[in-house]
Amino acid sequence: LSLSLSRRRMRYTQLVMGPAGSGKSTYCQSVVEHCNAVGRPVHVFNLDPAAEVFNYPVAWDIRDMVSVDDVAQYLNFGPNGGLVYCMEYLIANIEVLDEALGEFADDYLLFDCPGQIELYMHIPVMGQLVAHLQGLDYRVAAVYLIDAQFIDEPSKFFSACLSAISVMMMLEIPHVNVLTKIDLIKTIKRKSEIQRFLDPDPTLLLEEANRASSARQHKLNQGIASLLEDYSLLKFVPLDQSNEDSIGNVLAMVDHCIQFGEDEDVKIPKVPFRMLLPFFFCFSRSFNFL
Amino acid sequence: HTHTMASAEPAPAAAAAPAEGESGCVLLCIGMAGSGKTSLVQRLNSAMQMSGKRGYIVNLDPAVHALPYTPNIDIRDTVDYKAVMHEYGLGPNGGIVTSLNLFATRFDQALSILETRAKESDYLVIDTPGQIEVFTWSASGAIITESISSTIPSVVVYCVDTPRCASPITFMSNMLYACSILYKTKLPFILAFNKVDVLDHQFAIEWLRDADAFQDALDAETSYVSSLARSMSQVLEEFYQNLRAVGVSAVTGAGVSDLFEAVEDAKAEYFRDYKPVIDAQRLAKQTKEAEEQGESFKKLRQDLQDSGHVVVDVRPGARSEEDVAADSDASSSDEEDPSKELRPSDLHEAFQNAQGLPRPSV
Repeated sequence: LSLSLSRRRMRYTQLVMGPAGSGKSTYCQSVVEHCNAVGRPVHVFNLDPAAEVFNYPVAWDIRDMVSVDDVAQYLNFGPNGGLVYCMEYLIANIEVLDEALGEFADDYLLFDCPGQIELYMHIPVMGQLVAHLQGLDYRVAAVYLIDAQFIDEPSKFFSACLSAISVMMMLEIPHVNVLTKIDLIKTIKRKSEIQRFLDPDPTLLLEEANRASSARQHKLNQGIASLLEDYSLLKFVPLDQSNEDSIGNVLAMVDHCIQFGEDEDVKIPKVPFRMLLPFFFCFSRSFNFL
Repeated sequence: HTHTMASAEPAPAAAAAPAEGESGCVLLCIGMAGSGKTSLVQRLNSAMQMSGKRGYIVNLDPAVHALPYTPNIDIRDTVDYKAVMHEYGLGPNGGIVTSLNLFATRFDQALSILETRAKESDYLVIDTPGQIEVFTWSASGAIITESISSTIPSVVVYCVDTPRCASPITFMSNMLYACSILYKTKLPFILAFNKVDVLDHQFAIEWLRDADAFQDALDAETSYVSSLARSMSQVLEEFYQNLRAVGVSAVTGAGVSDLFEAVEDAKAEYFRDYKPVIDAQRLAKQTKEAEEQGESFKKLRQDLQDSGHVVVDVRPGARSEEDVAADSDASSSDEEDPSKELRPSDLHEAFQNAQGLPRPSV
């Protein structure tokens, strides 16, 4: 008993991020369905005040608190101003979120975040949210999604890496990059093209990037290629939402980077006290005989 | 006398790809929401009018309430963002993305107008949607950028909110994103530090020019700087080498002449470094397409022969393999025909492949 009191229980959550249309909500849906199938409790919190429809049960929705539509209607903000207002409103009234978090004290959470990079770079809300969650003993992982269909040559791949790093820099939390919509890539040629970005050989990519760019850019290409070589965290994990193993694999990567499951207590089956009673009787009788 | 026929003949001189002096330059204004793109475009517009330069302005933001300038082409005339939201049952973000997609399917029309206007204008300024990744990480943004840049000399003006970049981490993130756009667009790049009336951009210029100064600022702000951040700043040094950075104020008009100078410089770079690459890629693509076409016709011919029919060359305006080979030798003969690369059907196909959306009814 004293042991469990002295050690506070860690909680785990993923922030699911990426540009609009990169498949954030679909990712959440896949993970929820996968976890339901394996009997693991997972809940999704929607943080996008401009979200549309969900194909999964939403445990908590920022739109119940404030939505871009309301803000646009009553305060006459445009889409971007409205989004910023909503996120700042959330931070100002964070206790509402705390209350909701309390209901799912021990469960694994996914936060379906808004995609706009401005929210990460120009205003501190996402950083504040992460700090707040960490204060509540959450281990937070960032899952950054990019649509695989846009990655068809080294320069596009470099572009994706750089935009992922720019988010990585701002949040400074464990980070997993995911290449989504692999299942939409149909031709064998495109599949093999994508394959070389999943397990990139920086030297080959560099050669190809240099061929497709002017000489002045070669040094920059070189710099990015050597980053890829030095930092394995710049890898992209493929996500094929139609494939159960692929979803499991992505989830395992994220779990690993926030060490989910590693500090769980070893569960010893408890033996109810009354099952021990016969032994007591046994001993007490033997005492009587003596 | 169809287009396909025309392309097989020697190209008339009038249709030649614009040489450096003949065409205006496209300024693709990209920037994060709130960085002041629209105000900057307005400032560029008035500066052009003051100095007697001929400008042409395109607005690609479907969700903007009111524009301080009058655009020559406005996406809002083609697509009604509110109606798209309503019709497709979308939220604001989905509405913007879908509106831009719908516009991209008709972009061949806009492009032909732009091509004509490019010859009689000095600058074609393009204002992009407020939220940056709607343009940089969408199929339609890529289609629009690539189709413009392959026919008209183009440069990217990346608008930065200077006061918000005062923190080294934000600055670095922003520069990383800028670098990411450089790789995505593959065009000459100008960093426009906007809002210098609020905060002078000298600190940013110093950080760009002097890596040690930036490192000191980074160390001063955070107690722990990851090794990734250090390596990143080294990589970015290379990025800064090829970069033009200017400070502008859309409000006061300071620095606008510097920006135009940078544009001229970048335009020269487009012709020197980028155009050969773009042309080579297009030629490679065309040769490959022609080869594939040739292959399939060979097969067809074979089939017809096997079945005992009379062999006829069924291709309209057929190009033989020799023509293709001749094209790759004389590199300039094929560039003039933009219709070859930008058929509406191609755009539809690219758009639908990327989006999986139904064919638009607007």
